[in-house]
Amino acid sequence: MKETQEIDSQNALINAIKSNDSKALKSFYTSNYYKVENMVLKNNGNKDHAKDIYQEAFITVWQNIKNDSFVPQNETALQGYLYKIAKNKWIDVVNSSRFKNTKLIENEYTLYDKNENDTDEQDFFNEKLEQTMAVFKNMGNPCKKLLTAFYYEKKSLRNIAIEFQIEENTARNNKYRCMEKLRKLVLASKS
Amino acid sequence: MKEKENISPEFLETIERYYNGLMSKEEKFAFEEALQQNALLEQEVEDIKTLLFSIEKQSLKEKIDEFHADLPIQLEIEPSISNLRFLNFRNIAAVVILFAVGSFWFFNASSNEKIYDNYFKPDPGLPTMMATSDDYTFYDAMVNYKQGDYKTAISKWEKLEKLSPNNDTLIYFLGVAHLADKHIDKALSYLEKSSETTTSVFVEDAYYYLALVYLKKDKRDKAIEFLKKSTSEDSKKLLEQLK
Repeated sequence: MKETQEIDSQNALINAIKSNDSKALKSFYTSNYYKVENMVLKNNGNKDHAKDIYQEAFITVWQNIKNDSFVPQNETALQGYLYKIAKNKWIDVVNSSRFKNTKLIENEYTLYDKNENDTDEQDFFNEKLEQTMAVFKNMGNPCKKLLTAFYYEKKSLRNIAIEFQIEENTARNNKYRCMEKLRKLVLASKS
Repeated sequence: MKEKENISPEFLETIERYYNGLMSKEEKFAFEEALQQNALLEQEVEDIKTLLFSIEKQSLKEKIDEFHADLPIQLEIEPSISNLRFLNFRNIAAVVILFAVGSFWFFNASSNEKIYDNYFKPDPGLPTMMATSDDYTFYDAMVNYKQGDYKTAISKWEKLEKLSPNNDTLIYFLGVAHLADKHIDKALSYLEKSSETTTSVFVEDAYYYLALVYLKKDKRDKAIEFLKKSTSEDSKKLLEQLK
């Protein structure tokens, strides 16, 4: 009960999203999906398009909350914001020549993602981000699992130690070593 | 750019605290001042922050597929889709029924009445855009005719008929309008009159509709007689059907 009350309030939701609270994120995700799906289906898209565009918009909202570039104005601001971003993204897709040309080849279709407001600096940052994400995506376990638990799930070293059945100090060392490994992998991927 | 050296675990933890907003005001102030004075350090911190953010973003990306798999099943089918399906179903049903009726009628060589129903389509009428003042009433009535308001069209044309009783166009359209309005006997007299004017551009069509009138009156021989006079495609098709 306490959790649902927290999610009702925008600021609580924003704080929960900032800390990657799994329950809050999931409820935010599942309660806004169908509205976007309807919008995409009514505008020449299919369910796969809807899923892609919604997930992109969802991550954008999450990122903007993280960066403090979104401040809620009313009780349903975040929900409306998510819908608006998804809608704008879908309009971009429908207007893109790629969509017009590949509409029938659904499997080869990947979403066109370019925000017109991006400056060169943002482009550079996003490129770096995408590159690093790709490296992390392919990073082997247990490093990937450990870094996810610590940096995404925000679990304490103590809880991670219990989960991985290691000493807390080992967890701290492993986390450090995995970060070094990731750094080097990213540097190697650039050269 | 020279190979980056390892960062210390302590330095990583300092950046973590900075990234997570866990520094005290004093520590944050001192840290940011140090960054401002050392561009290399600043770059280093930025790179680590990018790493941390990438881990989070990629993790979320992988998580949301799990969210998606757990979407509540939508009980209410989206309205426009259900309408579309219903429409499709109706179209299919209509085609099936048409086919059933069509084949029933086809294989049973059913009554003349049914053939009439199947073949009768009102004459499409004349284009109404060139209405000069002389022809105004005629084309005005043509608009009514095209809208399916045969009674109004007939009453307007009947007034014109009094002024020019031998106008072949008028006679023909009075015939087809009465037929469309199911006044078979009136249609018959106008269409017979129309078919007698063999120089009229409407004579072929008049034969065809006359044949339909006779079919409706269950006089198949008479119908065939008029169809044989006509050379139009529709007449040939109907004649095939009657033989």
